[in-house]
Amino acid sequence: MNKTALQIIRFVVLVLLQVLVINHIRLGGYVHPYIYMIFIMLLPFSTPKWQLLVLGFALGLTVDLFTGTLGLHAGATTLMAFCRPSIIKLVSGNQKFENITEPNLGQLGGIWFFRYALCMVFIHHLALFFLESFSFRLLGQVMLRILLSVPVSIFLIMMILFIFKTEKRRE
Amino acid sequence: MYNLRRFIIKHHFVILFILLEVISILLLANSQRFHRNRMVNTTNDVVGKIYEWNSEIGYYFSLNSTNEQLAEENAMLRQKLSIMYDTSTCTYNISEGDTLYKYIPAQVVNNSINQANNYIIINKGAVDGIERDMSVISSEGIVGVVTDVSRHYASIMSLLHSKSLVGVRIKESQELASLKWGTNNYRYGMVEDIPTHIVLNTGDTILTSSHSYIFPEDLMVGTIEEFYPTAVDALNKAKIRFATDFATLRHVYVIKNLHKPELDSLKAKFKQNE
Repeated sequence: MNKTALQIIRFVVLVLLQVLVINHIRLGGYVHPYIYMIFIMLLPFSTPKWQLLVLGFALGLTVDLFTGTLGLHAGATTLMAFCRPSIIKLVSGNQKFENITEPNLGQLGGIWFFRYALCMVFIHHLALFFLESFSFRLLGQVMLRILLSVPVSIFLIMMILFIFKTEKRRE
Repeated sequence: MYNLRRFIIKHHFVILFILLEVISILLLANSQRFHRNRMVNTTNDVVGKIYEWNSEIGYYFSLNSTNEQLAEENAMLRQKLSIMYDTSTCTYNISEGDTLYKYIPAQVVNNSINQANNYIIINKGAVDGIERDMSVISSEGIVGVVTDVSRHYASIMSLLHSKSLVGVRIKESQELASLKWGTNNYRYGMVEDIPTHIVLNTGDTILTSSHSYIFPEDLMVGTIEEFYPTAVDALNKAKIRFATDFATLRHVYVIKNLHKPELDSLKAKFKQNE
């Protein structure tokens, strides 16, 4: 399939999954999982850095339109996209990827991907929950939200990626 | 000039990042303060439609309990009506001039309860006569205030919002107080600024006050769950259980105050005189 078409489908499906399903999960007042960032996480390694930012901003803004919080997800996802190149360097260390065009679970392994997802999701949630409270007044509450939501988000993200992986093999 | 261009090209990643973050924070600060963003308005119809499709799927599963709730409300209203008029002989037609408030029924197509600021989207919009600042209630109690209107949909700032503030009245003592969300739980809110001489008990009823320009008087808000007397502060607080169950909200009524233009023009005159 055309690479661009695949990216567009991924974008739409992830946003709809987030706003129609995941946002309605109720696990007490502190757990708010987010998975739509998978789109930014899976972009090819060769994506120009400025495109990462623009796509991150557009993705966040789309989610914002649904939740009525203009600028909230846009800000958090742009920050995550900004950190992506550094995180990839940090997580990979001296590893060199040959023939690998994009971060994927199959070729890079579960451990690499888990560390990558952990850093990305943590930065996203940190920015998101601090922007949401718009002050450092509720520091304890915001930290609790982050610490409780990050594991749930990562669990959901890894699950979605595993499902996606097996489907690819069948083709 | 050449140096500037080279600088921008060299650091385009950081510059673009800062630019996008500044836009995000400005948008966020604006939407928190005014709730009137053109961009939200123009796209709300698309967002509303998607939410409506989605809610139609889930609608069938809750039909039974929804019907029951509406029937109960009908029975209650019939009873009230029978107190006021002899229903068997009286054929009373309501015309616009007789009532102060017009009720517009609507259905909730999207509702959040677990964010720091929660919004509800309903399937009635400008075409149906919905305007900003109208109040929204359910058959159980008050729900929120309309903040944005598109052609066919409207978004409502629910009571579960950090900026929500409603003037309320304690039913027993007629004393005024104010209602905020203040908790992270969708079932409870906080009543603040309660005069010191008032002692509240669990189960006391809280209604809307006539001082709120948005809600009609004497609508059900909730019941007191826990009273917190403060020795230091001059005013007391109490935890309140909302009458409305936000988790299962389905049918709501948008209330149009037919005297609002009159009230607004009076308020504008005050401002001019100041």
